[in-house]
Amino acid sequence: MAVSTRRLQKELADIKKEGTPVGIELLSADDFSTWYLTVEVLGETVYQGEKFALKFRFDGQYPISAPAVQFVVDGSYHAPIHPHVYSNGHICASILGSEWSPVLSVVAVCVTIQSMLASCKVCPSVHPICPSCACQCLV
Amino acid sequence: MLMKDSVEELPPAGLFDHLQAFPGDGLPMPDRPLIAPLAPMLVLREEYENGSQFFVKQIDWLMNQGWIGVRRARGDGDCFYRALAFAYVENILNSSDSLLAASSALSVLEATVPQLENVGFQRLVFEDFYDCLAGLINQIINPVNNRLLTIDLLLEAFNNPEVSNSIVVFLRLLTSAEIKTNPDYAAFLLHPETGEQMDPEGFCNNFVEAVGKEADHVQMNALATALKVNVNVAYLDGHDQHGQVSFVPFQNAPFTVIEPVNLLYRPGHYDVLDRRDADPLPPLLV
Repeated sequence: MAVSTRRLQKELADIKKEGTPVGIELLSADDFSTWYLTVEVLGETVYQGEKFALKFRFDGQYPISAPAVQFVVDGSYHAPIHPHVYSNGHICASILGSEWSPVLSVVAVCVTIQSMLASCKVCPSVHPICPSCACQCLV
Repeated sequence: MLMKDSVEELPPAGLFDHLQAFPGDGLPMPDRPLIAPLAPMLVLREEYENGSQFFVKQIDWLMNQGWIGVRRARGDGDCFYRALAFAYVENILNSSDSLLAASSALSVLEATVPQLENVGFQRLVFEDFYDCLAGLINQIINPVNNRLLTIDLLLEAFNNPEVSNSIVVFLRLLTSAEIKTNPDYAAFLLHPETGEQMDPEGFCNNFVEAVGKEADHVQMNALATALKVNVNVAYLDGHDQHGQVSFVPFQNAPFTVIEPVNLLYRPGHYDVLDRRDADPLPPLLV
């Protein structure tokens, strides 16, 4: 069995047994290539009352290589307005690129993104390109 | 492997294009073996013949000292860990008492489990990686599918990206655990570019656990200590006009039954150094 499948099976079992942190829910994990989770930002933030969905895609090299993670943008969900998030759902986060580490998990990524959003207290009126990572995620 | 089925995809990490080329390696990076069969040092010498004569002199010096072989690791930022892991398992395999060597290596590995857990790694996060390395060492003494480990199987395993990278990751986690456990490393945790002092957590997150990040002195020392293996690194850096090569020893395992691992350093890269110039031929069928 592929390492990625074995690892995702364990993560899934762990989520079912231990649950997910507050504000994070598993939406679907029908196979070991694509999972969906929802993220709500707790406390007083510009995202109060909103629920976002994250799409995770895993290749056979997960968790050695990072999952591809983006916000779902469709009829039901939209991307949060945030300097590190593009309106099409792309996320500029170092942990999803050069600072990915195999000790991170799906839930850990959700928690990181949740706190990335939580730290955004002021809604940017424009949607600037994240300067630190523009090279990685020009769309 | 590359999941880039449209321009909208985010690139998965671990696919690095900042890789260094070495004179004469010839093949583009992804086509080079993760760990190559043993080759004569003369092959490396030929690659430098039209380049720096200081390197050529140093290679001659090494050959005169009996270091006539080199086993190349792919230059992907994981080469130190991969080269060390391969040479470590191979030395156990070639040990005169491989039963003793393998058993003692396995007991060292078992003892790292609580150390990994103590620094906060979930078992879920490391056990598959652990199993890859422990499984290979175990196969030296216990047949898997009726086969004991051979050099051919070892090369095959290390060139299977899944197995090979899992072992690299395990060694990275082990290195990280050692650095976080032992306060003696704290003074040496410097940012490789800025030289700023870093805390163990930040240093390990960025420069130890992350795949593709090259190892420096601290990581090498920590890993040699955690694995209880002695390591000698020959620095082929073109610095000595008379061609002498300095060997830096990482001797933290006075009682080990496993032969030291010998690595060859060229700026930014590690390979395995050997006193043989080719892998042994498989035994004739009985």
